[in-house]
Amino acid sequence: MDILPPSEELMARIARGDEDAFEILVNRHQTSILNLVYRFIGDRTQAKDLAQEVFMRVWQSAKSYEPKAKFTTWIYRITANLCFNELKSARRKKWFSFNWSDEDGEHTFEETLSDNAPSAEDLLLEKERSRQISDALQSLPDNQRMALVLKRYDDLSYQEIAQVIGCSVSAVESLLVRAKRTLQEKLKNYEK
Amino acid sequence: MKCHNIQKRLSAYQDGELDPREQEQVRGHLLSCRACREQFAELERVWQTLEGLEQVHPDPWFYRQVVRKIKEPRERGLLPTLQQVFRLSRVPVAVSIILIIGLLAGTYLGSILARCDLFPFFQSNAVSDSLGVLTSMRVFDPAPPGTLAEGYYRMVSY
Repeated sequence: MDILPPSEELMARIARGDEDAFEILVNRHQTSILNLVYRFIGDRTQAKDLAQEVFMRVWQSAKSYEPKAKFTTWIYRITANLCFNELKSARRKKWFSFNWSDEDGEHTFEETLSDNAPSAEDLLLEKERSRQISDALQSLPDNQRMALVLKRYDDLSYQEIAQVIGCSVSAVESLLVRAKRTLQEKLKNYEK
Repeated sequence: MKCHNIQKRLSAYQDGELDPREQEQVRGHLLSCRACREQFAELERVWQTLEGLEQVHPDPWFYRQVVRKIKEPRERGLLPTLQQVFRLSRVPVAVSIILIIGLLAGTYLGSILARCDLFPFFQSNAVSDSLGVLTSMRVFDPAPPGTLAEGYYRMVSY
Protein backbone atom coordinates (compact mmCIF):
# COMPACT_ATOMS: atom_id res chain seq x y z
CA MET A 1 0.00 0.00 0.00
CA ASP A 2 1.28 3.45 -0.97
CA ILE A 3 1.73 5.49 2.19
CA LEU A 4 2.62 8.58 0.19
CA PRO A 5 -0.11 11.13 -0.56
CA PRO A 6 -2.08 10.87 -3.82
CA SER A 7 -0.85 12.86 -6.81
CA GLU A 8 -3.75 15.34 -6.61
CA GLU A 9 -2.68 16.26 -3.07
CA LEU A 10 0.95 16.51 -4.13
CA MET A 11 -0.08 18.94 -6.84
CA ALA A 12 -1.65 21.24 -4.26
CA ARG A 13 1.64 21.22 -2.37
CA ILE A 14 3.65 21.76 -5.56
CA ALA A 15 1.48 24.80 -6.29
CA ARG A 16 2.79 26.24 -3.02
CA GLY A 17 6.36 25.60 -4.21
CA ASP A 18 7.01 22.36 -2.29
CA GLU A 19 9.97 20.72 -4.02
CA ASP A 20 9.78 17.54 -1.92
CA ALA A 21 6.26 16.94 -3.18
CA PHE A 22 7.48 17.51 -6.71
CA GLU A 23 10.25 14.96 -6.25
CA ILE A 24 7.77 12.35 -5.03
CA LEU A 25 5.50 13.08 -7.98
CA VAL A 26 8.33 12.85 -10.52
CA ASN A 27 9.60 9.59 -9.03
CA ARG A 28 6.09 8.16 -9.08
CA HIS A 29 5.29 8.97 -12.71
CA GLN A 30 8.65 9.19 -14.48
CA THR A 31 8.69 5.60 -15.74
CA SER A 32 5.19 5.66 -17.17
CA ILE A 33 5.65 9.07 -18.81
CA LEU A 34 9.07 8.19 -20.20
CA ASN A 35 7.73 4.96 -21.66
CA LEU A 36 4.62 6.59 -23.09
CA VAL A 37 6.81 9.11 -24.91
CA TYR A 38 9.28 6.46 -26.01
CA ARG A 39 6.57 4.18 -27.40
CA PHE A 40 5.03 7.09 -29.22
CA ILE A 41 8.19 8.77 -30.55
CA GLY A 42 10.37 5.67 -30.93
CA ASP A 43 13.58 7.42 -29.91
CA ARG A 44 15.18 6.95 -26.51
CA THR A 45 17.13 10.22 -26.23
CA GLN A 46 14.29 12.34 -27.53
CA ALA A 47 11.92 10.51 -25.18
CA LYS A 48 14.08 11.41 -22.18
CA ASP A 49 14.14 15.09 -23.11
CA LEU A 50 10.41 15.20 -23.74
CA ALA A 51 9.59 13.38 -20.52
CA GLN A 52 11.63 15.97 -18.62
CA GLU A 53 9.76 18.68 -20.50
CA VAL A 54 6.47 17.12 -19.34
CA PHE A 55 7.50 17.46 -15.69
CA MET A 56 8.66 21.01 -16.29
CA ARG A 57 5.16 21.80 -17.54
CA VAL A 58 3.68 20.08 -14.51
CA TRP A 59 5.74 22.32 -12.23
CA GLN A 60 4.90 25.44 -14.22
CA SER A 61 1.16 24.78 -14.38
CA ALA A 62 0.76 23.45 -10.85
CA LYS A 63 -0.98 26.66 -9.76
CA SER A 64 -3.59 26.39 -12.48
CA TYR A 65 -4.17 22.67 -11.91
CA GLU A 66 -7.71 21.81 -10.83
CA PRO A 67 -8.31 18.20 -9.86
CA LYS A 68 -11.41 17.80 -12.02
CA ALA A 69 -10.11 14.75 -13.84
CA LYS A 70 -7.72 12.08 -12.61
CA PHE A 71 -4.15 13.35 -12.29
CA THR A 72 -2.89 10.65 -14.68
CA THR A 73 -5.36 11.77 -17.35
CA TRP A 74 -4.16 15.35 -16.93
CA ILE A 75 -0.46 14.48 -17.15
CA TYR A 76 -1.10 12.14 -20.09
CA ARG A 77 -2.85 14.99 -21.88
CA ILE A 78 0.21 17.22 -21.37
CA THR A 79 2.40 14.38 -22.64
CA ALA A 80 0.21 13.71 -25.68
CA ASN A 81 0.15 17.39 -26.65
CA LEU A 82 3.92 17.65 -26.31
CA CYS A 83 4.41 14.52 -28.39
CA PHE A 84 2.06 15.70 -31.14
CA ASN A 85 3.75 19.12 -31.24
CA GLU A 86 7.18 17.56 -31.27
CA LEU A 87 6.31 15.39 -34.26
CA LYS A 88 4.73 18.32 -36.09
CA SER A 89 7.80 20.47 -35.61
CA ALA A 90 10.08 17.56 -36.55
CA ARG A 91 8.13 17.13 -39.80
CA ARG A 92 8.33 20.87 -40.49
CA LYS A 93 12.11 20.79 -39.94
CA LYS A 94 12.40 17.79 -42.22
CA TRP A 95 10.46 19.65 -44.89
CA PHE A 96 12.85 22.61 -44.70
CA SER A 97 16.02 20.56 -44.71
CA PHE A 98 17.25 17.72 -46.84
CA ASN A 99 17.27 14.37 -45.13
CA TRP A 100 19.77 11.97 -46.57
CA SER A 101 19.50 9.36 -43.85
CA ASP A 102 18.67 5.84 -44.89
CA GLU A 103 16.35 4.99 -42.04
CA ASP A 104 13.31 3.77 -43.89
CA GLY A 105 12.45 1.13 -41.29
CA GLU A 106 11.47 -1.34 -43.98
CA HIS A 107 14.00 -4.03 -43.20
CA THR A 108 12.71 -7.50 -42.72
CA PHE A 109 13.46 -9.54 -39.68
CA GLU A 110 15.61 -11.96 -41.65
CA GLU A 111 17.59 -9.17 -43.35
CA THR A 112 18.57 -7.64 -40.05
CA LEU A 113 19.50 -10.96 -38.59
CA SER A 114 21.85 -11.69 -41.44
CA ASP A 115 23.43 -8.24 -40.96
CA ASN A 116 24.43 -8.97 -37.39
CA ALA A 117 26.88 -11.35 -35.81
CA PRO A 118 25.24 -14.61 -34.69
CA SER A 119 26.77 -14.44 -31.22
CA ALA A 120 24.51 -13.35 -28.33
CA GLU A 121 21.61 -14.52 -30.46
CA ASP A 122 18.98 -14.29 -27.79
CA LEU A 123 19.81 -10.70 -27.00
CA LEU A 124 19.82 -9.84 -30.63
CA LEU A 125 16.46 -11.52 -31.18
CA GLU A 126 14.92 -9.63 -28.34
CA LYS A 127 16.34 -6.32 -29.56
CA GLU A 128 15.19 -6.99 -33.07
CA ARG A 129 11.76 -8.03 -31.91
CA SER A 130 11.43 -4.74 -30.08
CA ARG A 131 12.66 -2.76 -33.05
CA GLN A 132 10.17 -4.43 -35.35
CA ILE A 133 7.31 -3.66 -33.00
CA SER A 134 8.51 -0.08 -32.67
CA ASP A 135 8.69 0.27 -36.46
CA ALA A 136 5.17 -1.09 -36.80
CA LEU A 137 3.93 1.37 -34.18
CA GLN A 138 5.72 4.27 -35.86
CA SER A 139 3.96 3.43 -39.12
CA LEU A 140 0.59 4.27 -37.54
CA PRO A 141 -0.90 7.76 -37.81
CA ASP A 142 -0.26 9.88 -34.67
CA ASN A 143 -3.76 9.65 -33.17
CA GLN A 144 -4.03 5.90 -33.74
CA ARG A 145 -0.60 5.32 -32.24
CA MET A 146 -1.34 7.43 -29.17
CA ALA A 147 -4.67 5.64 -28.62
CA LEU A 148 -3.08 2.24 -29.01
CA VAL A 149 -0.14 2.97 -26.71
CA LEU A 150 -2.46 4.34 -24.03
CA LYS A 151 -4.69 1.27 -24.27
CA ARG A 152 -2.07 -1.41 -24.62
CA TYR A 153 0.61 -0.21 -22.25
CA ASP A 154 -1.20 2.08 -19.83
CA ASP A 155 -4.56 0.29 -19.86
CA LEU A 156 -6.59 3.47 -20.04
CA SER A 157 -10.32 3.19 -20.72
CA TYR A 158 -11.80 4.56 -23.97
CA GLN A 159 -13.26 7.41 -21.92
CA GLU A 160 -9.84 8.36 -20.55
CA ILE A 161 -8.15 8.03 -23.94
CA ALA A 162 -10.83 10.32 -25.38
CA GLN A 163 -10.01 12.91 -22.71
CA VAL A 164 -6.28 12.65 -23.35
CA ILE A 165 -6.50 12.90 -27.12
CA GLY A 166 -9.46 15.26 -27.15
CA CYS A 167 -11.98 13.29 -29.18
CA SER A 168 -15.15 11.24 -28.67
CA VAL A 169 -15.30 7.72 -27.23
CA SER A 170 -16.60 6.34 -30.53
CA ALA A 171 -13.67 8.00 -32.32
CA VAL A 172 -11.30 6.21 -29.93
CA GLU A 173 -12.93 2.88 -30.74
CA SER A 174 -12.56 3.53 -34.43
CA LEU A 175 -8.91 4.65 -34.01
CA LEU A 176 -8.14 1.43 -32.18
CA VAL A 177 -9.92 -0.80 -34.72
CA ARG A 178 -7.86 0.75 -37.53
CA ALA A 179 -4.63 0.67 -35.53
CA LYS A 180 -5.05 -3.02 -34.69
CA ARG A 181 -5.89 -3.85 -38.29
CA THR A 182 -2.73 -2.11 -39.52
CA LEU A 183 -0.59 -3.79 -36.88
CA GLN A 184 -2.01 -7.21 -37.83
CA GLU A 185 -0.79 -6.56 -41.35
CA LYS A 186 2.57 -5.08 -40.35
CA LEU A 187 3.42 -7.79 -37.82
CA LYS A 188 2.19 -10.68 -39.94
CA ASN A 189 5.68 -11.80 -40.95
CA TYR A 190 6.95 -11.30 -37.47
CA GLU A 191 4.48 -13.71 -36.01
CA LYS A 192 5.22 -16.57 -38.39
CA MET B 1 -25.80 -10.85 -34.29
CA LYS B 2 -24.24 -11.63 -37.63
CA CYS B 3 -20.52 -12.25 -38.14
CA HIS B 4 -20.11 -8.88 -39.87
CA ASN B 5 -21.46 -7.01 -36.84
CA ILE B 6 -19.53 -9.17 -34.41
CA GLN B 7 -16.25 -8.55 -36.19
CA LYS B 8 -16.76 -4.80 -35.99
CA ARG B 9 -17.01 -5.05 -32.20
CA LEU B 10 -14.16 -7.52 -31.63
CA SER B 11 -11.67 -4.80 -30.80
CA ALA B 12 -13.94 -3.22 -28.18
CA TYR B 13 -14.72 -6.71 -26.86
CA GLN B 14 -11.03 -7.40 -26.48
CA ASP B 15 -10.59 -4.11 -24.61
CA GLY B 16 -13.53 -4.89 -22.33
CA GLU B 17 -15.39 -1.79 -23.49
CA LEU B 18 -18.74 -3.34 -24.43
CA ASP B 19 -21.72 -3.21 -22.12
CA PRO B 20 -22.32 -6.54 -20.30
CA ARG B 21 -25.18 -7.62 -22.62
CA GLU B 22 -23.16 -7.02 -25.77
CA GLN B 23 -20.06 -8.57 -24.19
CA GLU B 24 -22.09 -11.72 -23.53
CA GLN B 25 -23.50 -11.74 -27.09
CA VAL B 26 -20.01 -11.56 -28.61
CA ARG B 27 -18.69 -14.22 -26.24
CA GLY B 28 -21.57 -16.54 -27.15
CA HIS B 29 -21.01 -15.96 -30.85
CA LEU B 30 -17.28 -16.67 -30.56
CA LEU B 31 -18.04 -20.02 -28.95
CA SER B 32 -20.10 -21.08 -31.94
CA CYS B 33 -18.36 -19.36 -34.91
CA ARG B 34 -14.97 -20.60 -35.98
CA ALA B 35 -14.22 -17.74 -38.44
CA CYS B 36 -14.86 -15.03 -35.84
CA ARG B 37 -12.94 -17.02 -33.27
CA GLU B 38 -9.92 -17.13 -35.58
CA GLN B 39 -10.17 -13.42 -36.17
CA PHE B 40 -10.27 -12.77 -32.46
CA ALA B 41 -7.30 -15.08 -31.91
CA GLU B 42 -5.41 -13.02 -34.47
CA LEU B 43 -6.19 -9.83 -32.54
CA GLU B 44 -5.00 -11.47 -29.35
CA ARG B 45 -1.77 -12.58 -31.01
CA VAL B 46 -0.99 -9.02 -32.11
CA TRP B 47 -1.79 -7.77 -28.61
CA GLN B 48 0.62 -10.33 -27.17
CA THR B 49 3.27 -9.42 -29.72
CA LEU B 50 3.23 -5.82 -28.52
CA GLU B 51 4.46 -7.12 -25.18
CA GLY B 52 7.87 -7.47 -26.79
CA LEU B 53 8.47 -3.74 -27.01
CA GLU B 54 11.32 -2.93 -24.66
CA GLN B 55 10.79 -0.77 -21.62
CA VAL B 56 12.89 2.30 -20.99
CA HIS B 57 14.15 3.00 -17.50
CA PRO B 58 14.73 6.57 -16.36
CA ASP B 59 18.25 7.62 -15.35
CA PRO B 60 18.86 7.87 -11.59
CA TRP B 61 19.45 11.61 -12.10
CA PHE B 62 16.19 12.15 -14.01
CA TYR B 63 14.66 14.31 -11.26
CA ARG B 64 17.84 16.37 -10.86
CA GLN B 65 17.84 17.10 -14.60
CA VAL B 66 14.22 18.23 -14.48
CA VAL B 67 15.00 20.57 -11.58
CA ARG B 68 18.07 21.94 -13.34
CA LYS B 69 15.99 22.68 -16.44
CA ILE B 70 13.34 24.43 -14.35
CA LYS B 71 15.93 26.55 -12.58
CA GLU B 72 17.54 27.69 -15.80
CA PRO B 73 14.54 29.41 -17.35
CA ARG B 74 16.49 32.21 -18.99
CA GLU B 75 18.90 29.94 -20.75
CA ARG B 76 16.12 27.59 -21.80
CA GLY B 77 13.52 30.22 -22.53
CA LEU B 78 15.47 32.71 -24.59
CA LEU B 79 17.94 30.59 -26.48
CA PRO B 80 15.48 28.15 -28.00
CA THR B 81 13.32 31.08 -29.11
CA LEU B 82 16.25 32.74 -30.84
CA GLN B 83 17.30 29.44 -32.34
CA GLN B 84 13.76 28.85 -33.55
CA VAL B 85 13.56 32.31 -35.11
CA PHE B 86 16.90 31.73 -36.79
CA ARG B 87 15.82 28.29 -38.02
CA LEU B 88 12.52 29.50 -39.44
CA SER B 89 14.01 32.61 -41.08
CA ARG B 90 16.87 30.75 -42.74
CA VAL B 91 15.22 30.44 -46.16
CA PRO B 92 13.93 34.04 -46.49
CA VAL B 93 17.25 35.42 -45.22
CA ALA B 94 19.21 33.32 -47.72
CA VAL B 95 16.96 34.46 -50.60
CA SER B 96 17.34 38.12 -49.55
CA ILE B 97 21.13 37.82 -49.33
CA ILE B 98 21.28 36.25 -52.79
CA LEU B 99 19.10 39.05 -54.22
CA ILE B 100 21.21 41.78 -52.59
CA ILE B 101 24.43 40.17 -53.82
CA GLY B 102 22.91 39.90 -57.30
CA LEU B 103 21.90 43.56 -57.33
CA LEU B 104 25.29 44.73 -56.08
CA ALA B 105 27.15 42.51 -58.53
CA GLY B 106 24.94 43.74 -61.40
CA THR B 107 25.58 47.39 -60.50
CA TYR B 108 29.30 46.78 -60.18
CA LEU B 109 29.50 44.92 -63.49
CA GLY B 110 27.46 47.62 -65.20
CA SER B 111 29.83 50.33 -64.00
CA ILE B 112 32.86 48.29 -65.20
CA LEU B 113 31.31 47.75 -68.64
CA ALA B 114 30.50 51.45 -68.92
CA ARG B 115 34.13 52.28 -68.30
CA CYS B 116 35.69 49.81 -70.75
CA ASP B 117 35.62 49.92 -74.61
CA LEU B 118 33.90 46.57 -75.04
CA PHE B 119 30.43 48.11 -75.16
CA PRO B 120 30.54 51.60 -76.69
CA PHE B 121 26.84 52.09 -75.90
CA PHE B 122 27.69 52.37 -72.22
CA GLN B 123 30.20 55.13 -72.83
CA SER B 124 28.84 58.61 -72.12
CA ASN B 125 29.65 60.05 -75.65
CA ALA B 126 27.85 57.22 -77.38
CA VAL B 127 24.82 57.67 -75.16
CA SER B 128 24.66 61.43 -75.73
CA ASP B 129 25.00 60.90 -79.54
CA SER B 130 22.13 58.48 -79.55
CA LEU B 131 20.02 60.85 -77.50
CA GLY B 132 20.86 63.71 -79.93
CA VAL B 133 19.69 61.63 -82.92
CA LEU B 134 16.45 60.70 -81.17
CA THR B 135 15.77 64.32 -80.19
CA SER B 136 16.42 65.63 -83.70
CA MET B 137 13.92 63.08 -85.07
CA ARG B 138 11.43 64.46 -82.53
CA VAL B 139 10.41 60.93 -81.64
CA PHE B 140 9.32 62.10 -78.17
CA ASP B 141 6.85 64.67 -79.60
CA PRO B 142 3.14 63.90 -79.08
CA ALA B 143 2.77 64.04 -82.90
CA PRO B 144 6.17 63.38 -84.55
CA PRO B 145 6.52 64.87 -88.08
CA GLY B 146 5.41 62.63 -90.97
CA THR B 147 3.16 60.44 -88.85
CA LEU B 148 -0.61 59.90 -89.03
CA ALA B 149 -0.91 61.55 -85.63
CA GLU B 150 0.62 64.72 -87.08
CA GLY B 151 -1.97 64.63 -89.94
CA TYR B 152 -4.88 64.47 -87.50
CA TYR B 153 -3.31 67.17 -85.37
CA ARG B 154 -3.08 69.53 -88.42
CA MET B 155 -6.69 68.83 -89.49
CA VAL B 156 -7.97 69.67 -86.02
CA SER B 157 -5.91 72.85 -85.74
CA TYR B 158 -7.17 74.31 -89.08
